[in-house]
Amino acid sequence: MSTPGISILDGKYMVTMDLFPQQSKEFNQIYKFYEYLKEGRFTTTKCKDCGSEPFPPRVMCPDCYSTNVEWIDWPTIGTVIDVTEEAVGVPLGFGKPPLVHALVDLDGKKTFFVRIINCKTGELKSGDKVKLAVFDVDPVPQEFGREVINIPRVFYAFEPVK
Amino acid sequence: MDRNVCVIAGGMSKWGVRDGSQRDFFQEAAKACYDDNPQLNPKEIDGLLVASAYTERTSYQTHLAPLVAEYVGIQPKNICARVELLCASGSSAIILAFAMIKSGQADIVMVAGGEKLYTPQKWEIFYSELASVDHDWDGGQGLGLPPPVFAMVAKQHMLKYGTKKEHLGVVSVKNRRNSAKNPKAQFQTPVTMEEVMSGRMIVPPLTLYDCCPITDGAACIVLAAEEMAKDMTDKPLVYIRGTAQASVNNMSANMPNWTTWEALKIAAQQAYSKSKVDPKEVNVAMTHDCFTISEIIEMEDLGFCKKGEGGFFVADGQNDFGGQVPTNTDGGLLGCGHPFGGTGIRQGIEVTRQLRGDAIQQVPNATIGLTHNLSGFIAAHTVLIYGREVA
Ligand SMILES: [Zn+2]
Repeated sequence: MSTPGISILDGKYMVTMDLFPQQSKEFNQIYKFYEYLKEGRFTTTKCKDCGSEPFPPRVMCPDCYSTNVEWIDWPTIGTVIDVTEEAVGVPLGFGKPPLVHALVDLDGKKTFFVRIINCKTGELKSGDKVKLAVFDVDPVPQEFGREVINIPRVFYAFEPVK
Repeated sequence: MDRNVCVIAGGMSKWGVRDGSQRDFFQEAAKACYDDNPQLNPKEIDGLLVASAYTERTSYQTHLAPLVAEYVGIQPKNICARVELLCASGSSAIILAFAMIKSGQADIVMVAGGEKLYTPQKWEIFYSELASVDHDWDGGQGLGLPPPVFAMVAKQHMLKYGTKKEHLGVVSVKNRRNSAKNPKAQFQTPVTMEEVMSGRMIVPPLTLYDCCPITDGAACIVLAAEEMAKDMTDKPLVYIRGTAQASVNNMSANMPNWTTWEALKIAAQQAYSKSKVDPKEVNVAMTHDCFTISEIIEMEDLGFCKKGEGGFFVADGQNDFGGQVPTNTDGGLLGCGHPFGGTGIRQGIEVTRQLRGDAIQQVPNATIGLTHNLSGFIAAHTVLIYGREVA
């Protein structure tokens, strides 16, 4: 790897240029979301005191402010409300146009605006079913003392149910 | 102490794809601001609030306010700090300056906002915008750049209320016609409805002229306590009557409604109430036309027309000169461009000119003006109401 204009950064990892979140427990207390994601599960935290199920998952309940929370599974299949297809201006890292997004009703839990992968232009329409799609993203070279260990990472989108 | 607060000067740099650095633009904006009111002695300014969202990423500069103070030749003694709320950074800083003067914590405060967004390689600002939304969740879905979000808003609004692509076009044509007369605006040429309707597809139904551009530039405004303002300008005094800012969600999954912006309705209600103004009394407005559909929804949620009728309201000329509430008379974001931290200040300057009676394109006898910004994933809304008289 080379970094034109800044030769000293050759081969260095820059968190400030990373598309995806840190997923190791040293850098993220909700790291279990990503561990479950690797198992194909879509999860969030449920408050054991008031029963609230916020998303994104978190360390404190936003409704009663309890920190007594547990991980629960959410549906991995949702229904498309509407679709957008970005023809121009797709940011670096999100493939060739079109970049497809859909407003997805996740079985009444929340309405997610998410990226749809494995989907051709014009393929997806209102009422269609989509399912969770988990994929690998670049690992993070993280320092442990003098050692550098690559932390594997995943991220999610949704894809048409065929 | 509870004092009245006035705008006593305002000016902006040329906006657009600019040669120069962030600090260059702040100096240009300050110069234009000082030139707007030669009676203002900049050495008497006792506070500075700087609005800039991407200063760390595209100019690699934090602790920006003291730097700007040094460059624009002032030595604040009551406040010198930066304010950030992305697209609403400028109007947020005006609210805070207003509150400081009103409460007696400062007397004369400059609010300066701006950005250098174009980098030597253009991909970097587009990529950096992944920081504009909840980076860990919406950023990872490729939603840093807003066109897909507003395309979904437009689709849903069209479906629910019968808003047409031609209605969006009316907003582009109006705002580009206005910016063509504003020498500081990014776009100096008008566009026709035909050009707009055949514009390059970005995210259906949004085409090129539905979207505001990326912009370099800065703007400055100076606020002062009324008793001092009276001695510092011969121009009519323009007061800030009332302000509000509301947020009910941040991540996309927590949007309560895509076609009615709840936080905007809350902010508008608060601002109207504090300002003792009814929506029908607003003579001129600068609303956040980051996309054409935004201006249409803003007409509704600001109470200028009935819910769902925004498209028909703009198509009927009701937010153009001669209509109920001329909107974005200087060109708005679609015409002037949008250097995030500068926009709320640009709006404040244009409303001030309209109320003073010296705007480039004057709304006759305007006495009450409104500015509005949305920011992030339509996650916060900011409303300020200005007037020739106090509330
Ligand atoms: Zn709870």
